[in-house]
Amino acid sequence: MSDKKRIAVMEKISTGIEGFDDITGGGLPLGRTTLLMGGPGCGKTVLALNILVGAAMRHGTPGIFVAFEENARRVSANAEAFGWDMRELKKKQIFFIDACLRSDVIKSGSFDLSGLLAVIESKSAEMGAKLIVFDAIDVLLSLLNDPAAECRELYRLYEWLINHDLTGILTTKVEDSKPATAQRYGFMPFMADCALLLTQRVTDRVAVRGMRVLKYRGSAHMLNEVPFMIGPSGVEVGSSNGVHPEPQPFEEKLSTGVEGLDAMLSGGIYRGTNLLITGSSGGGKTTLAGAFIEAACRRGERALFISFDENSRDIVRDLAAMSIRLAKHLAGGLLRMEAIRTEAGSSEEHFMRIKRFIAEHRPRVVAIDPLSALARVGGGLAARAVAERLIYLCRNAGITVLFTSLLEGIDPNLETTTLHVSTISDSWIQISYALLDGERNRALSIIKSRGSMHATQMRELIFNDTGITLAEPYAAGGTVLMGALRMEKENSLRMVTGLPRLDGAPRDGAKPAAVRAKKQGKLQ
Amino acid sequence: MNDALNASGHPKGAYVFQLYLAGGAPNSVRALANLYAICRKHFPESHRIEVIDVLKEPLRALAAAIFVTPTVVKISPAPEQQIIGNLSEEQEVLRALGLPQKESE
Repeated sequence: MSDKKRIAVMEKISTGIEGFDDITGGGLPLGRTTLLMGGPGCGKTVLALNILVGAAMRHGTPGIFVAFEENARRVSANAEAFGWDMRELKKKQIFFIDACLRSDVIKSGSFDLSGLLAVIESKSAEMGAKLIVFDAIDVLLSLLNDPAAECRELYRLYEWLINHDLTGILTTKVEDSKPATAQRYGFMPFMADCALLLTQRVTDRVAVRGMRVLKYRGSAHMLNEVPFMIGPSGVEVGSSNGVHPEPQPFEEKLSTGVEGLDAMLSGGIYRGTNLLITGSSGGGKTTLAGAFIEAACRRGERALFISFDENSRDIVRDLAAMSIRLAKHLAGGLLRMEAIRTEAGSSEEHFMRIKRFIAEHRPRVVAIDPLSALARVGGGLAARAVAERLIYLCRNAGITVLFTSLLEGIDPNLETTTLHVSTISDSWIQISYALLDGERNRALSIIKSRGSMHATQMRELIFNDTGITLAEPYAAGGTVLMGALRMEKENSLRMVTGLPRLDGAPRDGAKPAAVRAKKQGKLQ
Repeated sequence: MNDALNASGHPKGAYVFQLYLAGGAPNSVRALANLYAICRKHFPESHRIEVIDVLKEPLRALAAAIFVTPTVVKISPAPEQQIIGNLSEEQEVLRALGLPQKESE
C-alpha cells in the first residue's frame, strides 16, 4: 500500500464489537497502531483478544497475540470462556507467542526487540497475519530501566509495524492517579495513530467500566467516555452514538390484555410505543405486565418478560392464580422470562444484558418490571440515561414495551417516577390506592396516552381468580365510588328500584348517604 | 553464598552457552564480545558458545521461546540459566553463573 493511498482513504478494520465500531467511526485503523491503555483489571487484554478473535471469525483475518505478562496458554483458556472456539482458531488464524520471561531470568545490560520482531515477521509471513497484538508490552520494556532505550524500542516496534503493513494493537498499564500523558509511556499516545483509555470507576459502590477514544488520527470519533462491560460473549460497548432511522409509526393498536383497560385507551396502545405503569408496592403492576405479555403470546407474538429481583417461576405461579397463564408460552418458546438481580451489576450492565436478551429472542413485546430498579444501581443520572436508551432501543426496533415504575415516598399518589421516565413514555397508567372507610381499593387512572382518546375517570381495579377487571365507573355525588362504598350505594339504589341486593344480605341504605356527606365534606 | 561456591574449582566440565542474537544489532554485537571476554577470563579452557542468529533462524528462537535479543542460555553445567541483555554488567553475569563476584566494582 502506497503512502498516497493511506492518506487518501483511511481504511478501517471492523471489530465486530458493535458499540466499539460506533465510537471509533468504523473500527481500528488498518495498517496502523492502536494503543489500549488502562489500569489493572480494566479489560485491556480481553478487548485486544476480542478484536483479534473478531477479525479472525468475521473476516478470516489471521493474527498473532504476543503475551508479555499473562501466560499465553492462560489467555487462550480465558478466551474459551467467552465461547470463542480457540482450538479451531489456533489451527490457522490465531497464533499465540508466549513472550513472558521466566521468573529466574537475570538481566545484564541493554537488550532490544529485534529478535522478537524477526520471529513475528517469519510467523506472520507464514500465516499471512494482518493483526498483531502486543499485550502488556510495558512489562518487558520496563526491564530496560532506561527511558531512552524504552522509547527507542517502542519506536522500533511502531516503525516495524508500519513497514510491514501490519495493524498493531499495543496494551499498556496506566496509573489511575496520573493523566495519560504523565505516565511512564506518556509519549505512546502521541506515537500511536489511535489511542483508547479504559477505566473502571466505582459509583455508589457499583463498578462501571468506561472506554474513551483519546485520539484517532485522520478520523472522526466519539469524544465522550462510553460504558462497556465484559459479558459472557466478550466485550460489549454501550454506545448511544448510533443514529438509527426513525421508525415508521404503526397504526395498529395492541391489547393490554385487560378488556376494560383497552376500552379506556380506545382500543389499546399503538404498536411500537411504550406504556408506563406506576404505582406503589403491591399495586398490581406486575399483574398488568403479565396480562400484557399473555395477550401478546396469545396473538402468537414473541415476548420477553424481564423482572428485577423476582424469580420468573414465582411470577408465573402468582399470575396463574389470576388466570394469567404464562407457563405454556414459556414452554413453547414464544415467551422468554429473565430475572435480573439488581445488585448484580450497574445499570449500564443491566442495559446491555437486556439488549442482548432482545437481540437473542427478537421479541415484539417486552415487559420490564420494574424499570425503577435501575435507579438503585449506578447513580441517578446514569440510571436515567440507561432507562431512556432502553426505551429508544425498543422504539427503534418497533418493539412495544410495558415498563413499570415503583413509586416510593410518603405520598403514594405523587405522580413522579424515580427515573423521571414519565416524560418519555407514550402512555402512562397510574395505580393508586383509594383508602376509604377502612377499605383499600386499587384505583387505576390513565394519566396520558399519546395520540389517542382515553378515559379520564379513575376506575377500580379488581383482581380475582378469573383475571383482571376494571369496574365501570360509578360516580356518586361527584366522586367515583369503589369497593364496599360502591356496593352500598348500588344496593341502596337497587332497593329504591326494587331490584335484589348485590350481596344478597338485607341492609338499610343509610350508610352510603352518610358516607357521601362525609366525602363531600372532605372534598370541599 | 559466594564463599560457598568459591574459587578452587568451578566444575571441570565444559561451560556450554547458547547466544541468541539479532544479526549485527548493536546490543547483539556487544553481547557476543562480552560473552567471549567473560569466558576467556573465567573458564579459558572449558567453554563452548553456540551463536544463533534469530534473524536467520527465527523458528528456532520460537521453539526455544526466546524473544529478547540478546539472550544467553547457559546449558551446562545444569541448571539452565537465561541472561538477557548485552552482558555489559559483568557482576550480574557472574551472579547468574554462580561464579564469585568481585568485592568492589
